[in-house]
Amino acid sequence: MDKAFANPEEYGLADLLCCAASREVQDHEVVFAGTGLPMVAIMLAQKTHAPSLKLIFEAGTLDGRPPELPTSVGDARCEMGASRSSGLHDAFSIAQRGYVDLGFLGGAEVDQYGNVNTTCIGDYLAPELRLTGSGGNPDINSFAKRTVFIMVHEKRRFTEKVSYITSPGWQVKKWPGGETVPRRELYGAAYRGGPSAVISTAGVFRFDEETGRIYLDTCHAGNTPEQIREMCQFDLDISRVSGETLPPTREELHLIHNVLDPDQIFIPKVKPKGS
Amino acid sequence: MSGKRITLQQAAEIVKDGSSLTFSGFTIWRRPFALVFELIRQGRKGLHLIEVNGGPQTEFLVGAGCVDIWESCWVGHELYGKYGANLSRKVGRGEIIVEDYSHAEMLFRFTAAACGAPYAVTQTSLGTDIHNPDFDMLGRAGLRDGKRVAKHKYVFTEDPFFGAGSQVLVPAAKVDVAILCVQQVGEEGTVRVNGQFYSDPEVARAADITIVMAEEIVPEEYLRRDADRNSIASFEVDYILECPFGAHPTGMFGRYDVDGGFLKDFYAKTRTQEGFDDFAKEWIHGHDHMSYLEKLGWPRMLDLKANTALNYSTGGKRGQS
Repeated sequence: MDKAFANPEEYGLADLLCCAASREVQDHEVVFAGTGLPMVAIMLAQKTHAPSLKLIFEAGTLDGRPPELPTSVGDARCEMGASRSSGLHDAFSIAQRGYVDLGFLGGAEVDQYGNVNTTCIGDYLAPELRLTGSGGNPDINSFAKRTVFIMVHEKRRFTEKVSYITSPGWQVKKWPGGETVPRRELYGAAYRGGPSAVISTAGVFRFDEETGRIYLDTCHAGNTPEQIREMCQFDLDISRVSGETLPPTREELHLIHNVLDPDQIFIPKVKPKGS
Repeated sequence: MSGKRITLQQAAEIVKDGSSLTFSGFTIWRRPFALVFELIRQGRKGLHLIEVNGGPQTEFLVGAGCVDIWESCWVGHELYGKYGANLSRKVGRGEIIVEDYSHAEMLFRFTAAACGAPYAVTQTSLGTDIHNPDFDMLGRAGLRDGKRVAKHKYVFTEDPFFGAGSQVLVPAAKVDVAILCVQQVGEEGTVRVNGQFYSDPEVARAADITIVMAEEIVPEEYLRRDADRNSIASFEVDYILECPFGAHPTGMFGRYDVDGGFLKDFYAKTRTQEGFDDFAKEWIHGHDHMSYLEKLGWPRMLDLKANTALNYSTGGKRGQS
């Protein structure tokens, strides 16, 4: 199989995000999947560099090896080939017990400490827009050793202060008082880790281990660090950029479009030039 | 034959105005739609939904004005509609009380209720606004009477046994009625769920009254031949009814897939109240379950029908292309 990198005209942004997410997975890890592009990314990792990863679907499938892409984690397709098909109590107990290495999540807004909002835009008590709510986002983020967020990059989304902290980052609130404290301090014995990366439509971001602040790691082709800094409301650290985000390989593109998602449920195919 | 068998209309009448209510399933899978539609037809008001997670059933009931309080963590249509437009509209207008918990918290709340415990303990979601005391919406509305609604949304404490630090206590989810939608139920109430059972065993046990609607009612003797494959014991179920294709437009493992086109259409058309009312007029009011299925038509239902070897449908188009 052709492991050479594809040329820019051979892939789209969704392919790039999917492959970047897939590369966050290490072999033998227990990975918790929510619905959407992450499912394709994890199954891609399963078929390339991480054949022994263990996939948990939030609705209750343990060590899943779906032969066909599910459209949601409750899908009948999740359980064919799985080690066990059960329910949410198993999925969340296993997560709280500490089995989960990595979770993929999404968000509408993120701040510089990795606090993520999926609940509402504007004042919670009188919101401009009510969104889906938390789902399992804060749970997976509380229980897993690492979490990776996949987000659309817009300046309003990379914000100084999220409208509502749905999912905990590296500097969080200690209730009932609401003082800001480091995550490690608040979680105490339950601390296992936290957000490790944000993969946006502009670049890949990581978090400083000491301060918990976000920094730019790689830029997707066509973006400069300065441009990406301009696309954040907070002052983005661009001093540690390691280069350009690696493009998909031809093998990865083949797997995404011919094996995993031929119906383009989550990943659209790029149209050949001139069509 | 036991006396548990009732009709769809009778099942809906068990849910009174002001009842607290919960459902089987997960997001867009195995939701008791035929009964949800009947509740809307009967004009039920003031419902208090307490759900492990929401979905299209939440959106229909909220859009129809049946719901005063929604306690849960998520509502949307997965791939087929990115958020709950009806809930969002009513939140914006202050027409509904929303109490947010996290997904695991909701699950643990039902687990507590299901084993008769007053609360559960967890370490999830520490440091988030979900725990912000200003956002205790039932408290703000003066509804925390300590009877059916807990005195507190949360209690923060420290582990008294092992010194493991911050813990959160979440109240048991006390619900009047659970409505389940499953593949098979026996005449005496034994339930067999195929595929992922989500949080069905917990919600069935947590509720005071449990109604099970099934694709088919089968002889108890058949289910009892393989008791290890059954999901819920007979006496946990109070009422049963048979209702094929009863989860449509949501899916049912081994029987039929999610009707994505229907959900997409619903999401697109019900952004406004007028849009919802028109949709309800077309699909709910003036129908019963059989005329609803007739309106869907055989070609559409056959497209959704699961392949019995794979447990999902191989017909129809799932993608965006």
